Amino acid sequence: MSAKEKRIEEVKSTGHVYDGIEELDHPPPPWFVAMFYLTVAIGLAYYAYYEIGPGPTQGQELQAERRKEELAELTSLAASGGSKIPSEDELQAMGKDPGRRSAGAAVFSTKCASCHGNRGEGGIGPNLTDRHWIHGGRLTDVFNVITQGVPVKGMPPWGALLKQEEVEGVTAFVASLAGTNPPGGKAPQGELVEKR
Amino acid sequence: MSDKFRYDDDISKKFLLATLLWGAVALLLGVLIATQLADWRLNLGLPWTSFGRLRPLHTNAAIFAFAGNGVFAAIYYSSQRLLKTRMYSDLLSRVHFWGWQAVIVAAAVTLPLGLTVGKEYAELEWPIAWAVNGLWVVFAVNFFQTLRVRRERHLYVAIWFYIATIVTVAVLHVMNTIQIPVSFWKSYPVYAGVQDALIQWWYGHNAVAFVLTTPFLGLMYYFLPKAAERPVYSYRLSIVHFWSLVFIYIWAGPHHLLYTALPDWAQTVGVAFSLMLIAPSWGGMINGLLTLRGAWDRVRKEPVLKFFVAALTFYGMATFEGPLLSIKSVSALGHYTDWIVGHVHGGALGWNGFMIFGMAYWLVPRLWKTPLYSTGMANAHFWIGFLGTVTYLVSLWVAGITQGLMWGATDIAGKLVYPDFVETVLRIVPLYWVRMAGGLLYFSGYLLMLVNLVLTVRRAPAGVQDEAASAPPLVPATVGNLGGRPHRMLEGLPGLFTVLTLLAILVGTVLEIAPTFFSGGFAPETPGVKPYTGLQLHGRDLYVREGCYTCHSQMIRALPAEVKRYGEYSRAEESMYDHPFQWGSKRTGPDLARVGGKYPDLWHYRHMMEPRDLVPGSIMPSYSWLAKDKTDFEIIARKLAVMKKLGVPYADDDVRLAVEDARREARRIGRGLEAQGVKPGIEDMEIVALIAYLQRLGEDFRKGGVK
Repeated sequence: MSAKEKRIEEVKSTGHVYDGIEELDHPPPPWFVAMFYLTVAIGLAYYAYYEIGPGPTQGQELQAERRKEELAELTSLAASGGSKIPSEDELQAMGKDPGRRSAGAAVFSTKCASCHGNRGEGGIGPNLTDRHWIHGGRLTDVFNVITQGVPVKGMPPWGALLKQEEVEGVTAFVASLAGTNPPGGKAPQGELVEKR
Repeated sequence: MSDKFRYDDDISKKFLLATLLWGAVALLLGVLIATQLADWRLNLGLPWTSFGRLRPLHTNAAIFAFAGNGVFAAIYYSSQRLLKTRMYSDLLSRVHFWGWQAVIVAAAVTLPLGLTVGKEYAELEWPIAWAVNGLWVVFAVNFFQTLRVRRERHLYVAIWFYIATIVTVAVLHVMNTIQIPVSFWKSYPVYAGVQDALIQWWYGHNAVAFVLTTPFLGLMYYFLPKAAERPVYSYRLSIVHFWSLVFIYIWAGPHHLLYTALPDWAQTVGVAFSLMLIAPSWGGMINGLLTLRGAWDRVRKEPVLKFFVAALTFYGMATFEGPLLSIKSVSALGHYTDWIVGHVHGGALGWNGFMIFGMAYWLVPRLWKTPLYSTGMANAHFWIGFLGTVTYLVSLWVAGITQGLMWGATDIAGKLVYPDFVETVLRIVPLYWVRMAGGLLYFSGYLLMLVNLVLTVRRAPAGVQDEAASAPPLVPATVGNLGGRPHRMLEGLPGLFTVLTLLAILVGTVLEIAPTFFSGGFAPETPGVKPYTGLQLHGRDLYVREGCYTCHSQMIRALPAEVKRYGEYSRAEESMYDHPFQWGSKRTGPDLARVGGKYPDLWHYRHMMEPRDLVPGSIMPSYSWLAKDKTDFEIIARKLAVMKKLGVPYADDDVRLAVEDARREARRIGRGLEAQGVKPGIEDMEIVALIAYLQRLGEDFRKGGVK
């Protein structure tokens, strides 16, 4: 340190010394002071915007987001011509389509197998390979149960989580399980359905 | 005319050795639980080694054992010298020291046993929590009496920060540990739901402020100019940032609760004050770094200064990141993710750790009157620790932001792109390994320091005595000797200074928390919200015992993607009988607020036995002991009685028949499981109580009891 620098520091000392620690009397750096006032102003403005001004509450924010999404959904629906719920015949046809079935099998193994078994033999949920059905044995019934679930029994509704073509694939895969009689099958539950 | 006296250096040594010891424990635990996240098998299948029980031990050890003892070492060493007196009472100092270590040992025993209140950083059960309150009084009496017998008229800025620490921690800890005991090792907090959440995060956030920030700023103001042998840059900056920090910090707690059931206004207040906090926080960093003017050439050579400079820089980074994360839209992305975990470790590893290391390398040679064994090793420690910290931070930034984006991702039709939670976990598991490597590096550097310091102490000459000092006695205060400017006068009046500090922290405290006492805790009286049955309540206590809240939230935020994934956002009324609230702060697993009824009982049973049977790839530990340990039905009556005392609307008969009712409910669930192949006798086991609780979550809303 040059002699000149030393002099400046002496001038700027407060004269306070604690256990050998001296305190200088520099003003806080101007940019620090500016930042202080600025952040206080931003903080106050933030509060004013949300609590006094037009800022949305979190409820309003969520509602606006939902409206935006509904609109987007409608637009995309209109653009695609709308997807309609498949009929029994259409689902039967899908059940025979190997492409559909293997796509459905992939979804089944990640979403359904934990309760219905890897081969549909049942476990926590019912056996899907026998001819007994709790909520109807037609493929439209299966499609509906997958989409809407059976919340009282712990079958979750998948309609919100899976795309329609995925639900169709799973239905197709379930159709292909009929009569496969895998090892360790759960005892039949529900009513006997002779023929789909 | 000078008094001759000796400083009590022995107490500083004791606290310093304690921080070095507990630091190793805290870091080792950190590395272990980090590895458990990367590979669930490291949970070892034992209750007391599972993540949910060890994570609270890690955080408590890091905050109260490592940082806490470090702070005490700094306070005892520097206060005596700044006040030119020995501590008021050697006995109180030692009661404080041994009592604090006893508390730590008690925590290390009880937390792995699952004895916990279930509130973060306030987990210790009531006998220990109140021992802490008592020890704090001992510490405070000793400290303030030392102020009284000082020989220095004015208080240096370090002392201001110590005063703020002592006063505020007392208020925070007492307020957050008001509990009613059920038994010697079980209690319920008097607060519930939103009120409990607000008080908890007022406490939690300000534990960061007044255990991990203010005392460390005090430490910095003493040890940095000492080590650099330079004057402190700006006295006026000290004044400005001290008072603004103390006044503003206390308000910022609600930023932990954005988009939750906390009323909007309280959230916004939290954000506003968090933004205002940047400059007051940076004031300390700036004053520290500018104090090094003229000493930067020495920073290159001296590990002590290196640690201090890096610590201040990490502090500056963390105190900028904090306000950023507080902004509602940023919180929407970052909250519940590993970004937050990274953020706190930026402070803990970079700021608190490095400050303590710098202090230790400076203090050990002075306390033991021996030069440091190896400067090279200390420099190596610095670079290893620095690399470890950066690795840790970067990996969790990437992990947190990745997962936050995946949770929020929706396709054009508005469906979640990653509806399976586990998919978002598996994506970041590789980053958990990187984080673990960062922690391991940091720990290795720490071990290097221990070796270095042990070798230093071993070379110490025999019979090192407490340092002798002399100073003229204090002249009674007069207007003349207090100094002209108002703040200068205040610095000469510790009593008034303390009162003003207390007022500064009480303003935000009262304005934020008092409304909860006049509004039924922000939750309107709702008959549709039913209290838990005895068995459900008992199951809830098991949820708390296993530390489920360390990985699962029970608070669905009012965000579109969140509502899609978990169901309608959580309402304040839904947790109005929750003593304590279990909203959680981190989602290593999915939210559970509406998990009830989603799966059959058998699903939960098998999932708790082996999560991977039902969720391939899950990193959750298995909880097989819950099927082997018997439910303590008898205690349930006492639990309901305490809850009734706390205002939960139980009828007298509910309490009287509690045990019978619980057994009946357990039998119903147990029979259902047995019919599906679960071994007979399961109804007596704890798993059934836990299932009863899990199936209950969200039920009031499902049944239309909450709008």
